Amino acid sequence: MKTRSWILIFAVLLAVCSVLTAILFARRPSGTVANIYRDGVCVYSVDLSAVEEPFEFTLTDERGSNTVRVERGRIRVTDADCPDRVCVSAGWVGENGSAPVVCLPHRLVIRVEKSAKADGGIDAVAR
Amino acid sequence: MKTRRIVLDALFTAVALTLFLVELQIPNPVPVAGIKLGLANLVTVVAMVLLSPLDALAILAVRILLGSLFSGNMMALLYSAAGGALCYVVMLLLRGVVTARQIWALSAVGGIAHNVGQMAAAIAVTRTPALIVYLPVLLIGGTVAGLFTGLAAQFLIARLRPLLPRFLPTQTTNRGEKKNHEESETS
Repeated sequence: MKTRSWILIFAVLLAVCSVLTAILFARRPSGTVANIYRDGVCVYSVDLSAVEEPFEFTLTDERGSNTVRVERGRIRVTDADCPDRVCVSAGWVGENGSAPVVCLPHRLVIRVEKSAKADGGIDAVAR
Repeated sequence: MKTRRIVLDALFTAVALTLFLVELQIPNPVPVAGIKLGLANLVTVVAMVLLSPLDALAILAVRILLGSLFSGNMMALLYSAAGGALCYVVMLLLRGVVTARQIWALSAVGGIAHNVGQMAAAIAVTRTPALIVYLPVLLIGGTVAGLFTGLAAQFLIARLRPLLPRFLPTQTTNRGEKKNHEESETS
C-alpha cells in the first residue's frame, strides 16, 4: 500500500470520528450538578446550570426534614428541624468549589459536582 | 542461541514494563477513561517487526500481566488483555503489508484495534451497550497515540536493525521479509 493511501485512511477515520463525537457529545450538560446524599447514597441530583425558575423542596425521613432552595448556579438549605441548624447557616454553595453542606443529625450531604450521581449512568464503571 | 533470545525478550519486556509504569505516573490530559499514549505498545511494534511475532506475543503477554500486577489494577488486566490481543492480531496480519517507512501506520491500526478490543471488553463486563458512544472518542485517541508511538518505533527500528546481529549473531532472519522492509517507498 502507498503511504498516501494510509494517510488518506487515517484522515477519513479521524474526520468521521470527530463528527460523531461532536454529534454525540454536543448536548451533554457540562455545568454544575448538585447531588444530595442521604447515608452516603445519592438520592437526588439537579443540574444547577439548567435551572430556569428558583424552586424549593423538602426532603423528609424519620429523622426530620430539610428544606432545600435551588437557584440558577447555586443551592442552599433554607430550613431544617435539626437542633443545631448548621446546614442552614452554611448558606449557598455553587460552582466555585465550596465545601459541601452537611446536616449530620439527618445524615444529609449536598455536594456540587461535575456530574449527576443519582441515576448511576455510563460513568459508573468506566474504570 | 536460545539463551540470547530469552535474554533479549526479557530486556524488551523490562523496557515495556518500565514505559508502562512511568506512563501511569503522568497525569492524563484527556478526561476520558481508556485514552492514553500507550508507550508500551512501542515495544510490541518493535519486537513484531525486528524480532518475530512469537517474541512479540511473549513480551506483550508478560507485560500486560505484570503491568496489571504492579499497578494494582486487576480490572485493567481484562481491558488490557482484550485490547492487547486484538491489537496483536491486527498488527500480525498487517505486518507483511507495510514497508519500513510505514510502521507508523501499523502502529496506528494497532492503536485502533486496541481501543476496539477494550471497548468490547468493557461492554461485555458491564453489560452496557450504551458505552459504544465513547468509541469515536477512543478511536481518535487510539489513532493519534498510535501514530506517535508508531513514528517513535519506526525511528527506533531504523537505529536498532544494524545492531541486531550483535545481539543475535546466528539468527537467520527471513531474507525475503527483510528485503520487503527495506524496500523504499516511492510515492
